[in-house]
Amino acid sequence: MRGLASLALCMFAACGEASTEAGKLAVPGRAGALKSSASVRATRRLFDGAPPVIPHPPLGAACVQCHNARGMDVPDLGFAPPSPHAETPGMSALSRCNQCHVHAIDGGEFVANTFVGLAQDLRRGERLYDGAPPVMPHGTAMRENCGACHDGPAAREELRCSHPERARCEQCHVAQQQDGSFSRL
Amino acid sequence: MAALDRRTLFKVLGVGTGCVAFSEGDRAEAATLEAPLGAPSPAVESWDKAPCRFCGTGCGVEVGTRDGKVVAVRGDEKSPVNKGLLCVKGYHLPAILYGADRLQYPQLRRSDGTLERISWDAALDLIASKYREALDQRGPDSVAVYGSGQWTVFDGYAALKWVKGGLRSNHLDPNARLCMASAVTGFMAQFQSDEPMGCYEDLELADDVVLWGANMAEMHPVLFSRILESKRRRGTVRLIDIGTRRTPSSDYADLYVEFRPGSDLAIANGILHLLVKQGKVAQSFIDKNCVFRRGEEDFAKIGYGCSGEQAERYTFNDTPKDSSFEEFKQFLEDYAPQRVSEISGISVQQLELLASIYGDNKRKTLSLWCMGVNQHVRGTWMNNLITDLHLVTGKICRPGDNPFSLTGQPSACGTVREVGTLANRLPADMVVTNPEHRAKAEKLWKLPAGTIPDKPGHHAVDMFRAFQRGDVTCLWVQTTNPWVSLPNLHRFERRPGDGRFLIASDVYPTPTTDQADLILPSAMWVEREGVFGNSERRTQQWNKLVEPPGEAREDAWQIVEVARRMGLGHLFPWEGDWHEAMFEEYRSFTLGIGKDIASYKQLQATRGLLWPVVDGKETRYRYAGGHDPYVAAGRDVHFYKAKGYGERAAIWLRPYHPPAEEPDAEFPLWLCTGRVLEHWHTGSMTRRVRQLHQAVPRAYVELNRADALDLGVKSGDLVRLRSRRGKLTLEARVDGRGKPPRGSVFVPFFDESKLINELTLDALDNISKEPDYKKCAVRIELVEQGS
Repeated sequence: MRGLASLALCMFAACGEASTEAGKLAVPGRAGALKSSASVRATRRLFDGAPPVIPHPPLGAACVQCHNARGMDVPDLGFAPPSPHAETPGMSALSRCNQCHVHAIDGGEFVANTFVGLAQDLRRGERLYDGAPPVMPHGTAMRENCGACHDGPAAREELRCSHPERARCEQCHVAQQQDGSFSRL
Repeated sequence: MAALDRRTLFKVLGVGTGCVAFSEGDRAEAATLEAPLGAPSPAVESWDKAPCRFCGTGCGVEVGTRDGKVVAVRGDEKSPVNKGLLCVKGYHLPAILYGADRLQYPQLRRSDGTLERISWDAALDLIASKYREALDQRGPDSVAVYGSGQWTVFDGYAALKWVKGGLRSNHLDPNARLCMASAVTGFMAQFQSDEPMGCYEDLELADDVVLWGANMAEMHPVLFSRILESKRRRGTVRLIDIGTRRTPSSDYADLYVEFRPGSDLAIANGILHLLVKQGKVAQSFIDKNCVFRRGEEDFAKIGYGCSGEQAERYTFNDTPKDSSFEEFKQFLEDYAPQRVSEISGISVQQLELLASIYGDNKRKTLSLWCMGVNQHVRGTWMNNLITDLHLVTGKICRPGDNPFSLTGQPSACGTVREVGTLANRLPADMVVTNPEHRAKAEKLWKLPAGTIPDKPGHHAVDMFRAFQRGDVTCLWVQTTNPWVSLPNLHRFERRPGDGRFLIASDVYPTPTTDQADLILPSAMWVEREGVFGNSERRTQQWNKLVEPPGEAREDAWQIVEVARRMGLGHLFPWEGDWHEAMFEEYRSFTLGIGKDIASYKQLQATRGLLWPVVDGKETRYRYAGGHDPYVAAGRDVHFYKAKGYGERAAIWLRPYHPPAEEPDAEFPLWLCTGRVLEHWHTGSMTRRVRQLHQAVPRAYVELNRADALDLGVKSGDLVRLRSRRGKLTLEARVDGRGKPPRGSVFVPFFDESKLINELTLDALDNISKEPDYKKCAVRIELVEQGS
C-alpha cells in the first residue's frame, strides 16, 4: 500500500504540478488538475525560501531547456515550471543549477530532524485603496521573472496575474524596503 | 547537451525508480499547508547576519528566527562575498541545528562502555583533574588538544592561551593541519607572512582563471558562480582546469589539462622553464622585489613522514639557503618540455599553452588551488611553484593578477592561521621557536618569561600517533571528527582499557564521540556569539540568535571553565560576558604589523572587513601600492613583511619528487579522495538534513568506463577496494558526476559507515606535516552485481 502510494506520488511529483488521471498526466490549469500546488511546493523545500529539490531523475538535458522563462508543456508528461531566475542578473545557461538544486533520489534519512521551517508567506500585497495596484509583498532577489509564479499553468490559481501581457511589472507593482520611512532629517 | 527527447524521458521516468517518494506523513503535513492566499502568515521575527557555517568561502547569510528557533536563511545581499547567492548547503543551514540526536548533556563512559549523563560541574572538574594529574605525573608532553578550523576565534584563542600559556605545552594542533598547512608553509616561505595578497574581487578581474587541482563547482560553488558570471558577462575570460579527474568544474573549462597524480610539480617547473627560455620573465620586477632560495632537495633526507624517526614531530627541518637567478635558470634545465611531458602525461602543446597564459602580460591571471595542491607529499613545494609563476612574471599584487589559496573550513584562516592554533605557532605569524615571539606573547599575556616552551608540539597526525603510542595520555578533541578524517585510520584504533583519557566536544554523535571517554555537548553557529575569518582575509562577527539545546555550551566557555578549575583563571580574568574583551586582547597581537584585525565594534557593524584594517579601512590588496597602507610611499609593490629577505619575496627552486605510493601490479589503480557538493567534510552536519542526505546518501567509488569494462563492473555493482592498509565495499559508479581517468578511482570521505580513510596512506609533506589524501594505490574486485 505504502509502495503504491509512493509510486503514485512519485509520478505525480515527477511531473510538476500535475495530477494523475487513469495514468494520464494532466497539466495544472486544465480540467482535472490540481487547484493549488502549495502542498507539493512545501514538500520540496526545507522552508519557504530554500531552493526546491529536483523531483525527477537526471534527464540528460540542460535544465533550462524545459525550465526556461516561460516553462514548457511536455506532452504526456506535464508542465515544466518556468525558472524564476530566468531574468536574474548572473543566471544563465552557463550557471550551475546543481549548485542549489539537488536531486532527491533516495528515500530514508540518516537521522531524524526536528527542524520546522518557515511556511510560505501567503500575505497579499497591500493596496493603498481598492483598485490600486498592490505592492510586492515579498522580495525579488533570485525571482525577477515574475511570470514564473504569476503566470502560466504552473502558477497557483490565486496568484495568477490578469494582465501578463504587460511585460514590465515593476512599473506598477513596487518592491518594499524594510527601512522605508521618510523624514526630512 | 543532448536534445531532450520524449522517449528518453519516459524511459527514465517510466521505470518508477529514482523519484522522490513522499511518505504518508509528508502528505498529511502538506495538507495543513493548503492555506488560502491572504491567510495570516507566520512571519520571521528577526533577520540577523551571520557567516555560513560551512566552507572557507565565508558567504554571508541572514538568519530568520521566530519563537527562539531558526526557521529560514537567505543569502545576504549586503555581503560582498556572495551578494545574495548561496549553495545548496548554505540554503539548508537551518536544519543542521535540529538533528534529532543533538548532544545535549555531558556524558561519561562507564567501564561497560555505556554512557552516563553527568553535570557540567562534574565534567569540568574531571577534565581539570585529568589534565592536572597528567601534568604532575608525566609532564606537559602527555597532554594535548586537537582543535578545528571550525572553531570560532574565541574557541581557538582560549585554547591557545590555555595550552601554551597555561599548560606550558605546545601540543595544540587543529584539523586544519590536514587541509591547509601546506598553504601556510608556502606563504611563509615566500613572504614571511601567511595568507594571500588578493581577494575575491580577483575572480571578476582576471582574464585567465587557472584551477590547480581544485573542483570549485562543488567545493566553492558561490565563488565558482562568480567566475561563470564573469565569463558570461565579459566573454573573453578563460577557465583553465589542471586536474587529475574530470569534475563538474571541468565541464565549464575552456581548457582541461589532465596530469598524472603528483606531476604538477613537473608541470609548474616546465612552465617556468618555458617562461625563462622565451624571455617572458619580468626582469625589473624580479630585480627589485625578489630573492631566490632553495632548500633540502635530497629525496632520501626528506622522505614522506610515514614512520620512523622522520615521522615524529619536527625532526625534518628544511635547510634553506640563498640562490640566484643564474642557479634558477640552471635548475630549470631539467624541466624541458619533452621530459615534463613524459613525467606528467600532458602534451608539449598543452605545456606551451599554459606557459603562454602565464607569460601573457596583457591578460591578468588568477591561480586558484585548494586540497589537490595542499594534500600533497610536496604540498609546500607546489604552493611555492604556483606563486613562483606569478613572481617571475610580476603578475602579483595587482587586481586580477594573483595566486590565491582557497580554504575548506569557515575559520581555517581566522582561527587557525591568524590566531595560530598550530603546534609551532603563536598569533599573527609568530612561532614558538622564535624567542622574540615568545617574549611578545608572554608580555601581552602578562606571564613570566620562559612560560611558553620553545619546542613545537605534535602536529595533527603525530598527535594521534602519540596518543596511540601512549606518549599523550590526555587528549581533548573539539569541533572535529578525526576518527573519520585522519588518514590510515586503522593506525589510530583504540584498545579498551588503554589508560588514556579522550574528551570530545561536538554537536552530534560521531565515530569520534564513540571513541571518547567523556562527551561534551557544544553550542554551534548562531547558538553562540562568534567570529570566523575566511579565505580572503575577511573577519566576520555574528551574535547569538537562539539558545542551544539542553545544556550545550560553546567550546571557548568549556576551555575557560576548565582553566579556572586548574588554577589558571588569571589567563581569563574577565567577569561576565568576556567575548569582546577576549577579542580585543587577541587583536592587540595583530596591530601595527600588517596583520591588523578590525575592532570588535566595527566587526559587529559590518559584513566583515579584510585585514590589515588601518584607520577603520580594509585592505583588498596586500603589498600593493595605493591599497595597502604599510607599503612604502612611491612603491607599486612592497613585500614589507619579509624582513629576512630584505623586504623581498622569495622565488623557490623546488624539484619534482614522485608520490609516496604509486600503482603497481598488485595495486594497479590510483585512489583519490575528496568531497561532494552536498556534504561537508565528515557529513556529521549535512547528513542530518534530509534534502542533502537524500541527494547523496552514501559513499561510492567512481570508475573510469574502460577500467570498469576490464573489471566487468557496471554502475550499481558492489565492488571491494583494497589498499595495503585496508579494504572497503562500495557501490560502483561509472562516469558519474566526476570522471576519473583510466587507472584511477575516486571515493568521497563523508560517509562514516564507509571509511575510505582506512585505505589512505598517512604520508606527509615533511615541511607542512600535511597528509596526502589524493594519491595511493588500490585494487578493485567485483563483490556482487547490482540489480
